[in-house]
Amino acid sequence: MDIFLALGSVLTDPALMAWVLAAAVVGMIAGAIPGLTASAAIAMLLPLTFYMEPISALAFLYVIGKSGRYGGSISAILFNTPGTAASAATQIDGYPLARRGMASKAMKVATISSVIGDFTGDILLIVGVGAIAAVALSLGPPELFAIYFAAFVVIGSVIGKSITRGLASAALGVLVNTIGLDPISAKDRFTFGLFDLTNGVSLVPLMIGIFVLGEVFSQIEQRNAPVKIIEDADGPEGKARNRLTWSEYRPCLPHVARSSLIGSFIGVLPGLGSSIAAFVAYGEGKRHAKNPGEWGHGALEGVAAPEAANNAVSGPSMAPLLTLGIPGSTIGAILMGVFLIHGIQIGPTLFITSRELIFSLFACGLIGIAMYGIIGYFGAAWVGRFITRIPVKVLYPIIFLTAFIAAFASRGNLFDVLVMVIAGFGGWLMKKFDFNPAAFVISFVLAGGAEETFRQSLLLSQNGLLIFVTRPVALLFLVVGVAALVFRARTLNRQAKEASLKDA
Amino acid sequence: MTSTAPPELMNQTTIVGAVLTVFGIAALVACFQIDLDRDGGWGARIFPLAAAGALVVLGLVELAKGLREGRAIPLPAFDGWAVTGLLILALGYAWAIGLVGYLVSTAIAAPLALLLFGIRDWRGLLAAAVLCPVIYHLIFFVGLGVFPPYGRWFDLLDVIQGY
Repeated sequence: MDIFLALGSVLTDPALMAWVLAAAVVGMIAGAIPGLTASAAIAMLLPLTFYMEPISALAFLYVIGKSGRYGGSISAILFNTPGTAASAATQIDGYPLARRGMASKAMKVATISSVIGDFTGDILLIVGVGAIAAVALSLGPPELFAIYFAAFVVIGSVIGKSITRGLASAALGVLVNTIGLDPISAKDRFTFGLFDLTNGVSLVPLMIGIFVLGEVFSQIEQRNAPVKIIEDADGPEGKARNRLTWSEYRPCLPHVARSSLIGSFIGVLPGLGSSIAAFVAYGEGKRHAKNPGEWGHGALEGVAAPEAANNAVSGPSMAPLLTLGIPGSTIGAILMGVFLIHGIQIGPTLFITSRELIFSLFACGLIGIAMYGIIGYFGAAWVGRFITRIPVKVLYPIIFLTAFIAAFASRGNLFDVLVMVIAGFGGWLMKKFDFNPAAFVISFVLAGGAEETFRQSLLLSQNGLLIFVTRPVALLFLVVGVAALVFRARTLNRQAKEASLKDA
Repeated sequence: MTSTAPPELMNQTTIVGAVLTVFGIAALVACFQIDLDRDGGWGARIFPLAAAGALVVLGLVELAKGLREGRAIPLPAFDGWAVTGLLILALGYAWAIGLVGYLVSTAIAAPLALLLFGIRDWRGLLAAAVLCPVIYHLIFFVGLGVFPPYGRWFDLLDVIQGY
């Protein structure tokens, strides 16, 4: 019922609708620009939202995240370069379709599938989030710490090529978060006598550095790489070839339904994110397909499955953020910052204190999906052509300058600009050496809550660590963390063995 | 007759492992500089110690993996001049904002950034030097009302607006 009231309220607010529309367009363009992710766009635009109403700010960034995930498919299909990591799976079948002169058809399939996946994820979020929040209310500090622990391990070990480097990225995030005054005892930690460090490292410049300036460092190395667009065939024959009929889309529906559920499930788990969902859905889709031989050579189902999954992640990834204060993705981490900046305390009580705001945010999400769906269905090819007209040599210097002023505007502090520069170079180095910048940022955000719950647990147990194993829910999550690590290590070992057998 | 190549010990994994280990040890040492709680407890130290300890352990695991692999995994290739140039520009720009204010530093940094990305048209560079500071100033400092960073040595805003 709340959601219908919220939908009515949002639909009758022209200013809010304008922000949602702007977000749908900005997200699509940012997601479609190779190298520029939705996270980068959100980090860069974050300071602008400080001056907006809380619901407008949250809706603007939330819809950019949704639309950006979809926008990645445009460049995957048209340029053979995924705009986001999540759309790499779309590229496998999308680009062969584009080469056969069916780019528009592939993009229509991607749009419809993204919209269905995104709606499914959001509806599941709206229906289930209240129940999760009610359960979360009954959790104590030991259980919450165990959830944080599982999140650290999963985030560090599951994403990326190397478990050790992923976990090291997470450990670095925790270490950087502890810089400044200890929130409980007010002792100095790693401040080295610098006054600017006593308040710690701020999240906004850190994220702008990692996601925006880090990408500028990457792009300067590729500044001479040409971006070529695959155009649709002209004339009536080309138009006929790109018309999507019901009989063509119908075989995609079972894949879209399965992938939407896969994406929604993966979305609830902190840290896994869209790219894993897209590849799992692609693998499952191919396994269940009636035409597995066509997959990889331009099957429409091969576009539909990953697109539905990567967008279905968007809604459910908000569940751990809103109910436990644990961001499940980098976009979640940024939104957490927005909530805090506007003085809104996230966690299970959010549904009691700010229920109207949360349902308005969900309503904005639903409207945003419809908006990017309509714009994408009729205008994705135009967006692709628009992007090829933006010269990378001009775009990235502008992004470079914007990163500086955005980092400064967050607190009006020049020290933040220096933090942003160091984070940018560090983020570029991390990517070069297969570390995991996303794990670093999410762990940085999680560390505060994890430390607080850990120390509260120790106070409850009079410094006994056994409290974490004598409480069943806490033990369950500790086991989940360790099991995820072991499972991932075994998978990587098996892949390494298979690769060495192929080499032999 | 086959000759076995000597194992390549200084590969990428070993170097990353060594750097992580050294960084972790330095962090561990720094953790012990954190004051104890009033009751002598390690409260404020526990989390930094756990993270630093994890870095040491992970560094040693990576180091051992590199030594065991014993084959050359080259360091990633990178465009040294461009990246170093951009890093110097970024640090210099951050420093210059504090010295000569936002307008002058951006008027210098904008064309330099475009030059680094390969733009050579002098009219474009000149336009960037004028337009970038003006546009950013209007959006952020006039439109959004952010208080601008004034230069310690000199600031063009002082000249334009008066003291």
